[in-house]
Amino acid sequence: MRMVACALLVLAVTAAPATAGPADVAIDISNQIMSPFCDGVTLHDCPSQEALDLRAKIQRWASAGWSRERIYERLEAEFGAGIRAAPPARGAGTLAWVLPGLALLAGAGAAYSFARRWAVGSADAGTTPVVMSPRERARIDADLEALRGDTQSEVRT
Amino acid sequence: MPLQVQDSGLTGPLGSLGSLGRPALLAALAFALIGLTLCALGAARDRRDLAAAGIRAVVATAAFVAFATFCLLTAFFAHDFSLDYVASYSSRSLTGPYTLTALWGGVEGSLLLWTFLLTVFAAIALTRAPARRSALVAWAGAVLCGISIFFLVLLAVPANPFAALASVPADGQGLNPLLQSPGMLIHPPLLYTGFVGFSIPFAFCIAALITRRLDDSWLRATRRWTLFAWSALSVGIVLGGAWAYTELGWGGYWAWDPVENASFMPWLTATAFLHSVVIQEKRRMLKVWNVSLILLTYVLAVFGTFLTRSGILSSIHTFAEGDTGKWFLPYLAVMLLGGLVLIGSRLDSLRSENRFDSLLSRESAFLANNVLFVAAGFAVLWGTVYPIVNEAFSGVRLSVGPPFFNRVFAPIGLALVALAGIGPLISWRRMSKGTFARVARPPALAGVAAVIVLAAGGVRSIGALLALGISVFTAAAIVGEFARGSRVHRRREGSTWPESLRRTLTRNRRRYGGYIVHLGIVLMVIGFSGNAFKVERSAELAPNESMTVGAYSLTYVDHSSASTPEKEINEAVIAVSRGGERIATLRPQRNFHIAQRQTQSEVAIRTTPAEDLYLVVTSFDADATIVLRSFVNPLTWWIWAGAAVMLAGMAVLLWAPAPQAVPGPAPVRVRRTEVATR
Repeated sequence: MRMVACALLVLAVTAAPATAGPADVAIDISNQIMSPFCDGVTLHDCPSQEALDLRAKIQRWASAGWSRERIYERLEAEFGAGIRAAPPARGAGTLAWVLPGLALLAGAGAAYSFARRWAVGSADAGTTPVVMSPRERARIDADLEALRGDTQSEVRT
Repeated sequence: MPLQVQDSGLTGPLGSLGSLGRPALLAALAFALIGLTLCALGAARDRRDLAAAGIRAVVATAAFVAFATFCLLTAFFAHDFSLDYVASYSSRSLTGPYTLTALWGGVEGSLLLWTFLLTVFAAIALTRAPARRSALVAWAGAVLCGISIFFLVLLAVPANPFAALASVPADGQGLNPLLQSPGMLIHPPLLYTGFVGFSIPFAFCIAALITRRLDDSWLRATRRWTLFAWSALSVGIVLGGAWAYTELGWGGYWAWDPVENASFMPWLTATAFLHSVVIQEKRRMLKVWNVSLILLTYVLAVFGTFLTRSGILSSIHTFAEGDTGKWFLPYLAVMLLGGLVLIGSRLDSLRSENRFDSLLSRESAFLANNVLFVAAGFAVLWGTVYPIVNEAFSGVRLSVGPPFFNRVFAPIGLALVALAGIGPLISWRRMSKGTFARVARPPALAGVAAVIVLAAGGVRSIGALLALGISVFTAAAIVGEFARGSRVHRRREGSTWPESLRRTLTRNRRRYGGYIVHLGIVLMVIGFSGNAFKVERSAELAPNESMTVGAYSLTYVDHSSASTPEKEINEAVIAVSRGGERIATLRPQRNFHIAQRQTQSEVAIRTTPAEDLYLVVTSFDADATIVLRSFVNPLTWWIWAGAAVMLAGMAVLLWAPAPQAVPGPAPVRVRRTEVATR
């Protein structure tokens, strides 16, 4: 845990956003909006001439000092809310963002609960011996034998 | 019909057998119905002779579908434009191997290929199944016949690839130029092999549920099929990415579009299944989970086809849509609900026979892995269908694209990569925290060191630092496992390091093959992290003008034009310099495809392990002025290298012998504290 904390500290100290020029802003925005001219791809990935023109227009807006939000609002006014490549994290769009996280939490919770119940059940058994098949016992004996000749550090106990 | 064939101007050595295709499909349908009846009767009445006859009917079905596929191929090679499908997806200028690509250029041919693979796989699986006269195999035969019937009905009614045209055109409409690529020769068949291949474990799973033979015999009977299908799907997905990278001209390989997601969802659940079956085989646990996962995988494979073929979602990868979509919905409903009802009715037979010994155990790591894989699958599914769901409820069509998927998937993906490193370090059954901390320390140190070195070297992207740090941790853990195994062999047998490594690999191919696959995925993640450092520039250039991208200087030194029967080619010659030294000449093209009246860019790439220089001409004017879009894509090479390593790991896994049945508990007892091996 200490090592992970150190790594996160390094990340926090060293990570700083680089300043972006109008070309980079235009590229970033074109990656954040869907193309009105190609099906199912972002404006960045759309090969049509109209997409090229729109990308150039966005770069002109960025060069003119428009903020990102102003560019998004202009695009949304022209092409509708669906131009944004990610649903807004408000209103009906909230569900899009929240549900995958909830599903993951529910799955993790259920798995933890099952595993803990099983493990606790097993621990409750106290000194109840583990039942093993002869084959399994023989395999473990062979593994132990193989490891026995090795250094102590290689035998996990 | 013969007159139409004559009018079409056949040129192939065999002529066209197009007129025989539909009768062959109808015969296949008849045999599939016979197979279903005989297999089901044989299983229900315990009549082995009926079941064996049913399996012979499955073989006959496969033979007729294979013949129908051959008929359509002859029609393509003979330019038999009397067939609507051939006229729609080929032309006289289409020759050579791409004629084969035309077979899956549209819905009807794709479904024929799907059915061909399905029936052939069914015939092989059923005839080669151990104890093939058992009720399990007979029921699996019945299920596979039922699936075949659905697809044969599709081919007979809404998606007939042998439909004739009233008047025969002089030439066809040609094949989409994007499909005329080497990648498209193998990418779709591999994806279909993956999708269809999961029919086999699905059918055996349903058979096991029906017969209540819910030990691991159905898993062992289908293990190679599952691995084969998963491997084909994995390679197919990677090849799809490679095709997008080299053909679509946007400098990327994955766009999270619905067709890509459709192939990725079953891959995620199938990968979860591949891991969780290990728990069932070793510990006889997670039985409900395993049958649910294979059901989900099969349903998602078909659901993806429904999504992308029905036209309800659009994609740049969708080359064909038809009205087959509505046929899939009831089929999917029957498969999903029927499967769930069957699982629900067999819960008593699906109880785990063992329990977890500890939360810190390899079983727990597998469980966490499964939760993450399924959550990832759900996130992709949810993002894919969200626009439809939202529109249905609010009337507003929102989009869900790469920004959503990257944000939602990246943390789950990184957690999975970390687990691929943690898993091998933990013992089966139980491990103390102290021991785990001790064995995890070296790879964790390697990961932290990598982060510090990269940060000191100027890397500022948190996402990339995390991805690279976790990748190094996992790679170190896996390499450590190989080193540890080899050291034991070396000390015990006195062999050389290469020989020890070979013995380590061959004595437990399943385990170490899996590690090699994990190593391949780590390399791919390293490649993905390069996206954080991507540089892109566009410029309009007249001859002899230059632009810069990253550390490269690009000079437009020359251009040329040429014509072939298929296309008019416009090529730009770009001199590439770095640090004042000329290092390469790249020749991106902007071509006009005559039959399709479509302009298409051909990218030029200079690839090295450090970075790709990727050039695409997006406009080529009459005065030879071009618009050049250029990208520097760091580390992309590692994605393909990782895929090659994955392929090697898959080969080792497929080479591994089928797992032996673990005998039931016998009265040999040891104390739990004695169980300390990994």
